[in-house]
Amino acid sequence: MYEIDMLLQGFANLANEPLPLLLALIGVTLGIIIGVLPGLTATMGVAILLPFTFGMDPVSAILMLCGVFFGGIFGGSITAILLKIPGTPAAAATAMDGYALSQKGQAGLALGTATLSSCFGGFLSVFMLIFLAPLLAGIALEFSAAESFALAVFGLSIITSVSGDSLVKGLIAGFLGLLLSTVGLDPMAGFPRFTGGFNELLNVPFIPVMIGLFAASEAFKSLGQPETRAEVKVYIGRIIPPWSVFKGLIFTILRSSGLGIIVGIIPGAGADIASFVAYNEAKRFSKNPENFGKGELKGVAAAESGANACTGGDLLPMMTLGIPGDAVTAVMLGALTMQGLQPGPLLFKDHAGLVFTLFAGMLFCYAALLIIGLSSLRLMGKVLEMPRAILTPLILALCVVGAYAINNSMFDVGIMLAVGVVGFFMQRWDYPASPVVLALIMGPMAEASFRRALSLSGGSLDFLYTRPITLGLLTVAVITLALPLLRYFRGNGGNGPTADGATAGTVGSAK
Amino acid sequence: MKGYRFVTGAVVGALTSATMMVAAQAAGYPTKPIELTVPYAAGGGTDLVARAYADAAKKHLPQSMGVVNKTGGAGAVGLTEIMAARADGYRIGMGTVELTMLPHMGIARFTADDFTPIARLNAEPSAITVNVDSPFKTFEDFLANAKANPGKVRIGNSGTGAIWHLAAAALQEKTGASFSHIPYDGANPAVTALLGNHIEAVSVSPAEVVNHVAAGKLRILAVMGDERSAAFPEVPTVKEKGIDLSVYTWRGIVVPKKTPQAVVDTLREASKATANEPAFKETLTKMNLTLAYADGPEFGEMIKKDNAFFKDLMTKLGMAK
Repeated sequence: MYEIDMLLQGFANLANEPLPLLLALIGVTLGIIIGVLPGLTATMGVAILLPFTFGMDPVSAILMLCGVFFGGIFGGSITAILLKIPGTPAAAATAMDGYALSQKGQAGLALGTATLSSCFGGFLSVFMLIFLAPLLAGIALEFSAAESFALAVFGLSIITSVSGDSLVKGLIAGFLGLLLSTVGLDPMAGFPRFTGGFNELLNVPFIPVMIGLFAASEAFKSLGQPETRAEVKVYIGRIIPPWSVFKGLIFTILRSSGLGIIVGIIPGAGADIASFVAYNEAKRFSKNPENFGKGELKGVAAAESGANACTGGDLLPMMTLGIPGDAVTAVMLGALTMQGLQPGPLLFKDHAGLVFTLFAGMLFCYAALLIIGLSSLRLMGKVLEMPRAILTPLILALCVVGAYAINNSMFDVGIMLAVGVVGFFMQRWDYPASPVVLALIMGPMAEASFRRALSLSGGSLDFLYTRPITLGLLTVAVITLALPLLRYFRGNGGNGPTADGATAGTVGSAK
Repeated sequence: MKGYRFVTGAVVGALTSATMMVAAQAAGYPTKPIELTVPYAAGGGTDLVARAYADAAKKHLPQSMGVVNKTGGAGAVGLTEIMAARADGYRIGMGTVELTMLPHMGIARFTADDFTPIARLNAEPSAITVNVDSPFKTFEDFLANAKANPGKVRIGNSGTGAIWHLAAAALQEKTGASFSHIPYDGANPAVTALLGNHIEAVSVSPAEVVNHVAAGKLRILAVMGDERSAAFPEVPTVKEKGIDLSVYTWRGIVVPKKTPQAVVDTLREASKATANEPAFKETLTKMNLTLAYADGPEFGEMIKKDNAFFKDLMTKLGMAK
């Protein structure tokens, strides 16, 4: 097989010249740190590091950036699980079940599962990149505005599965997010909407809102609690899940990775969308969907493998067609160009050796991620042992720095704090935060794609049912929306599992 | 012999530094690091040009230069910051063509007159590019079709009110053809849509499609420049086709209006030398960008011309406020 030969040769190249491996290692470590810090996303990490790679050889430069990319997507899950602070938007889906597990004293298991799933997702996506790239590249070009719209609607329908106990409150939170997402420049006509004259509001301040909603609100909540709560005795516990548990996750990881890869290939859709889609499907296929949101390991596994499988998917159209799948790969496209490599079909023809060395290096990056991830988890878990009197101000300081760092703007810090207060009350009254984030990701995409599709079709709505992918995705969206209603009517007899009723009760009374 | 050479070197060195000292003392500038504000995100084209410039300028200024990204509002946030900076030359900015466009849309607190131009560094024309499978083989085909089927030819651009939208709109204005303008979230997604045959053409710069042209996937029909593009000498300009139109995006160094003349002169000198720096040229070439150095006054003329052109065009399009 040509690919296997080339890949082995790539490994040999790396073994002869180990400098790129060292840089990849540094990249992964930096990426994890960047991912852990709220506000610093994988995109920013790659962009900040980009100028430092100009002096390097192409393999070193690209592998270091890949390391930051992979590490950044994974790193966000650590704080999401331990503190309910998603370091990156992709980890918002992980936070739901990860934090619940943490509260049950199973933080170690959640972190270990997250690391393993991330790496499996990543490995699968890189292998797919190696063997199926030319086959799958076409998907990216099939996706037009109509398909993007359908994907966004499907994404919005996921609100029903991340709403927690009350669907109505979830929908209210979702519509709040949709309302917020209308702030800024009108995507088609280009005039400002609801900005109140502030230029800073011409783009929806998504990251500050997310930090405020998750992290700042959590910090405010803990400010209001006396230091007397009986802490969970086991902070970390077992890290690597026992085989019996892991066995049950394999199918979820495989499915989520597949979904992550496909979402990655689609232009304009990144890891944040992939993790929510994977989470939703894991819940749909689960025998006990009511456990999701209350500490279901499958939820963590799905979100994380989906997010990291997205990395290979994102790189695929970038390398084969020269079109970036999302913001991170747009920056990486610049990195390749600066190295004198023109991404596209010619890249594989003219620089096959180099491309396969890169692939070998990417596999190495994920192996490094697995080792660094697993070995650092105990250290990271020490955070839980920190007294709250120290941890809470530290979190707030990180929130401020993170919100400031995105645009070097105090305006964003103000938004973060204001949203933090809103988030505090949402939490107090049991409104889930995830639907807001989901709506902020999907809302602008749905709006812009719908209006773009309309202008592409000259104002005709035919695209809603004449295009097979669009029709398929919209059908799935309708089913996702209708399912909870069906369940409600069918389950009116009140045959919900009693065990779950009990856990829900305790969670409720803990407030 | 060796000693002799050393002495000459020392004398030359002393003389050079003496002249530099004089220049520096005349202005008393710069005595501390300079901050270069970039109104767009790190990792983008404007940012990379700025970083290459800051890097190459080290040799020609006694102080270092740091790049700070101030993003938001399609560039309005960063450009406002540059305009409002203290006019002492320690906060300079990367100005782009948007500073002649945003003021007319009513979303900026500055006008093009609020800046003193230092040097233009880069300029890229608009170009009409189609898929290689497209029935349009020449620019005449393309235009004739757009005239015969009003609104049927869909041109993708990088956003409504952004430079490539205005370029396509200006072409429509000049020729009487009628296009359907499809805004995308930047040039890359528009090119992706063209590759997938979802639209008929894009109006982005040749630099943004060069990879796909080289790969035989796209075809450039014409550039809206004053002369043919160095990278594509076989592609005609629209001027050759009898349409008096040139639309460029550009990037250059600007400072607040009230900056003292001595500071402006120091920066102009340094920018001129920086633009000739091989490392700077090489970076631009790698990014498929065209070096288009123009000194302050010439750059200023162009800003004035663009400002009037976009004001007129945007008023006609109903976008001006």
